[in-house]
Amino acid sequence: MSNLQTTAPNPGVLLFRWLRRLPLYVLVLLFCIITAFPIYWMIVSVIQPVEFSLNYPPPLYPLAVDLSPFQEIFQAENNLGRIDYWIGNSIVLSTMTTLISLFLTVLGAYALSGKRWRGQGIFGLLLLMTQMLPEALIVIPLYATLDRLNLKNNLFVLALVNTAFILPICIWILKNVFDTIPNEMRDAALVDGCTRMGVLWRIMLPISAPGLVAVGVVAFFYAWNEYLFAASLISNKEIYPAPVGLAAMISMVDTPIDRLMAGGLLFSIFPLIFYLLVQRYVVAGLTAGAVKG
Amino acid sequence: MGLQASVNAQFIKPAGSRQRDWLPYMLALPIIIYEGIFILIPIIQQFGSSFTSDIIGFGAAKGVGLANYERMLNDKFFWNSLRVTLVFMVATVIVAVGAGVIAAVLMNQRFRGRSVARAVMTLPWAFPDLPTVLVFYWILNPSFGVGNVFIRFFMPWLTENPKWLLDINLAMPLVVAIASWKAFPFYGLVTLSVMQSIPQELYEAAKVDGANTRQAFRYITLPALVPIIMLSGILACIFAFRQFVLIFLATGGGPGRVTETLVISLYKTAFRSFDFSYGATIGVSGFVVVFVITLLFVFLQHRQEAEAAR
Repeated sequence: MSNLQTTAPNPGVLLFRWLRRLPLYVLVLLFCIITAFPIYWMIVSVIQPVEFSLNYPPPLYPLAVDLSPFQEIFQAENNLGRIDYWIGNSIVLSTMTTLISLFLTVLGAYALSGKRWRGQGIFGLLLLMTQMLPEALIVIPLYATLDRLNLKNNLFVLALVNTAFILPICIWILKNVFDTIPNEMRDAALVDGCTRMGVLWRIMLPISAPGLVAVGVVAFFYAWNEYLFAASLISNKEIYPAPVGLAAMISMVDTPIDRLMAGGLLFSIFPLIFYLLVQRYVVAGLTAGAVKG
Repeated sequence: MGLQASVNAQFIKPAGSRQRDWLPYMLALPIIIYEGIFILIPIIQQFGSSFTSDIIGFGAAKGVGLANYERMLNDKFFWNSLRVTLVFMVATVIVAVGAGVIAAVLMNQRFRGRSVARAVMTLPWAFPDLPTVLVFYWILNPSFGVGNVFIRFFMPWLTENPKWLLDINLAMPLVVAIASWKAFPFYGLVTLSVMQSIPQELYEAAKVDGANTRQAFRYITLPALVPIIMLSGILACIFAFRQFVLIFLATGGGPGRVTETLVISLYKTAFRSFDFSYGATIGVSGFVVVFVITLLFVFLQHRQEAEAAR
């Protein structure tokens, strides 16, 4: 309808419209400042020479640029710890968690999607209970058992523990993706002589590739982020995952702030990029998982 | 396993057959075993060790009956941790879900640069926990933190910098703020996805009936959002109850236990005082809390699904 109006509205109307939108813009700006400032500040603290950061009041934008902290954290003689090794450990840990989770998630999602079976409700409820469980509530018995079995300081075992906690959410995400695949497609494949595991392998998985990516990202960054189990089960500095190593650096008195921030920034880059890339799938999956329980 | 399942699948019974279909059980079994090993057995162990006295370095565990529970009920620090947990939970739910809903309403508007604003507003969600603590720790540093610059700007009458996370009155609000900063984009995205699923025809019909924007929001958007806000609230409760790393690294439960939630108190009991049995006992009380909240979640969800089915 509006494109039927050929005459331009007068400036007063435009100004009025703009003023009416003003609160919206102000609020959006406020939200953006609140969310972006801490991340911006981390970047500033890394790239400006540390003298500026230790000057009060600190300048709100970098007055000079010095990228040496990034080099320093890769130097072997750095006795404060090897952030590069720790990030490498985190990559290994997260990759193992992702692979184990993907395998089990496919089984679980295929079981929950499709015809209902007796006990399905209980299976779903068990998954939900696991999903709701705080890690801290079982860290004590897990620690005691793994200590007795001499399985502490083992990244693979840590990946197994992480998988147990992220699995329910992953299964819900993939189940919801599976549910969007029309039953006719499965039935047609079955009629054509495909087994049901064949249907899973040839039909369901290729179609749900984006869902699988979402599951992989969620599992990867759960392990990437996880601190409690890592801190209690890994005491060997060599195999610290990055969160444990960085946390240990916070508590050291003489930690140079620019190096610490450089480590934190390096650690955040992967999740920030990945989440932005797959945000749509992850959000759809997570919300479906959240709403459907 | 895959082989076994495909052998089963070779003999698909026609619809209506009474033969039980074993495939879902075969698929679910590995997961049940897996979760049994890593979740269920530890829970049982936890329960078991709450009846013993197992302190690292004090020899083998001895059965002590209900002594740990008696101690817990008389422990003022335990009651303190429950109170702190409740305060943290309620405050985070209100702030994070509230900010999330407002953010969703904003993100749902049409304006120039909306996609950029949406990406920026959801940044904290993708930002890992540890760097979050790291940067807030630095911003809130009493000597050098840029937080001082802002507070001095808005409250010029202050004569000295606040102690921030070390201040007994500020620690809790700050921890709530940090946790909410990290969590609110998730609730924003959840709410936004529900808002976008409201059929556009409803708004057009309301317009025809002479409703203005505010009325459309009040009578169409808001009722559609109530169920998701309630579910988000429960989820936020769970996430707040689970919250460990942000609190632990920001304040360590201090100053003077004002931010010592149940999970922090449990961790410190077991890994700082090495009193595993008493930590396990606190853990058992935590299960009760989780169980109640989960039941509430299932209840609300069923009600919501029933309403959706109508």
